[in-house]
Amino acid sequence: MIAADASGGVAALDWVMGIIDWAAANWSHPGEPDRGILPRLLEHMRLSYVSILIGLVIALPLGLACVRWSPVYPPVLTGVNVLYAVPSIALFFLMLPYTGFSDWTAIIPLALYTLVVLLPNVVDGLRQVPEHVRQAAVAMGFGPLRRLVAVELPVAVPVIIAGLRVASVATISMVSVASLVGLGGLGQLIVSEGFRRQFDAPIVVGIVLTVLLALATDTVLVIAQRLLTPWAHAGKGRLARKRAARAEAAAAGRDAAVGSGSTPDHPESP
Amino acid sequence: MITFEGAAKIYPDGTVAVAHLDLTVESGRTTVFVGPSGSGKTTSLRMINRMVEPTHGTIRVDGVDIRDQDPALLRRSIGYVIQQAGLFPHRTILDNIATVPMLLGWRRGKARARAAELMELVGLEPAQAKRYPHQLSGGQQQRVGVARALAADPPILLMDEPFSAVDPVVRTSLQDELLRLQQELHKTIVFVTHDIDEAVRLGDRIAVYRPGGELAQYDTPERLLAEPVDEFVESFVGYDRGVRRLSFFPASELSLRQDVVFDAEDRVERARDAVVSDGEPWALVVDERRAPLGWVGARQLTEAPAGVTLGSLELAPFGHVFHVANDSLRAALDAAVLSPAGRAVGVDTDGSVLGVVSQADLGTAIWSVSE
Repeated sequence: MIAADASGGVAALDWVMGIIDWAAANWSHPGEPDRGILPRLLEHMRLSYVSILIGLVIALPLGLACVRWSPVYPPVLTGVNVLYAVPSIALFFLMLPYTGFSDWTAIIPLALYTLVVLLPNVVDGLRQVPEHVRQAAVAMGFGPLRRLVAVELPVAVPVIIAGLRVASVATISMVSVASLVGLGGLGQLIVSEGFRRQFDAPIVVGIVLTVLLALATDTVLVIAQRLLTPWAHAGKGRLARKRAARAEAAAAGRDAAVGSGSTPDHPESP
Repeated sequence: MITFEGAAKIYPDGTVAVAHLDLTVESGRTTVFVGPSGSGKTTSLRMINRMVEPTHGTIRVDGVDIRDQDPALLRRSIGYVIQQAGLFPHRTILDNIATVPMLLGWRRGKARARAAELMELVGLEPAQAKRYPHQLSGGQQQRVGVARALAADPPILLMDEPFSAVDPVVRTSLQDELLRLQQELHKTIVFVTHDIDEAVRLGDRIAVYRPGGELAQYDTPERLLAEPVDEFVESFVGYDRGVRRLSFFPASELSLRQDVVFDAEDRVERARDAVVSDGEPWALVVDERRAPLGWVGARQLTEAPAGVTLGSLELAPFGHVFHVANDSLRAALDAAVLSPAGRAVGVDTDGSVLGVVSQADLGTAIWSVSE
């Protein structure tokens, strides 16, 4: 049994090493800028980031319009939702006759898909600006545009960034599908090199890099939010510490009462 | 001076917010708009800075029709304090206060220096400058709201139920602060509230609104309490208006008795001769600095053995005192009602007893001011 386990472990290690070797060998090919893993990764980043940015550029004015003329919002939201229900692969195929094998074939559908998250978040973000804050801004003598830029949008930023986080992870994952119609990105590793050739390594590398890219993008957005909205975090740390201390004291009292020496787990934040 | 000339706000669906308002708000004074909800007081206030445009009539500030000015520019020249403070959550306290100076194009350094000045004026700690609104208590937020409204030194200050969202203790201290500020600044303040006590406390003039957006009475607080024009105003002002009106008459005009005040070192016989023979039921005992110690009754005085000092007798508590120089007849009456002897003790600013006044003597004084 021990021997079997050991040989199984060795096999798994061999498999991982094989994949790493393949990735190292195929990372990039000098002189052939379009071959290798790195160009696919860069393509993936370009397709996802451009889609997300275009989505945001559409969602902001559309969201503003939906807040300003609220009867417009329900039909627009329904439209965006219906669009999202169309399978992405079908949309890519539909785009092909018009945009060919250019980036736009992936970017236009993906940008439209981000709206399903971004639009409601822009609208909710603007709507949750408290009425007394809005009124105060009017009474101080802010014009409509200045009020939007200096008061309403900044207050909506946390909600908008929360939407961006969901939209970017979803988009980064969906870019892989674009490879099915012959577009670039990490999906090409999975589809053409891995699946068609029945070979593990490109599939695993494609998955791992996609997940890492999503995680890295999310981290950048979290940091951006921290930097853009210092007000949303100020004092919270101290409050959380106080709450944690109180929970600890209560737990300590409970422990003492039952005479248990075990240390209870405290959730970091509620 | 702000004048409403036939101002009205009637919405397209026929809802009347303000029916027909003719009213003059005097410069440098506090005018309070008070009334039940939906009576048009807030709408009237918001007409002044064009947050609400009147459908009829004219509003002038110092003779100039407010429609001749750009609304945003007009608003920057009029301070505004809103209920729940309306502070910008994403800006520090200092930057919140500097809002209007920045809008007016002041340089950042100058605007912030001015904001720091105002923080001190409204009683905020300099350490709070870098904090965000949610880190402050409701009362502190409202102070920031007042500071922000005063930042560009506007001659007019509009206050829309500014203290209604804070607890009663904090509210009283904010009212005191506003009274102190107004003594210093002499702004033209228009203050909206649904609380008649707040109106009476703060207002130089009070406009009482009735449902339907009509002005029911516009008067000084004292006259409003003395002579409400009709049943609506009378019931709105409240049933204890007679007692509350006494706050407008100073206690300093009361004649205080000093012949029933004795030193703790005095012997019983002395008080007995002066008090019991005079038919007075109580004598007040004070210490060497003339601070009150308590009451001694006529029966105690007659039963006590000769030669004992007053200080060695068991004294009844003197209750709470009133300050002759600053307090009103209302405070004196309250002190008399709560005293076990039925007499109020009047003291000087340093707490030394000036004399006592009985409920009967207070009644005479109240009678004379009510004439």
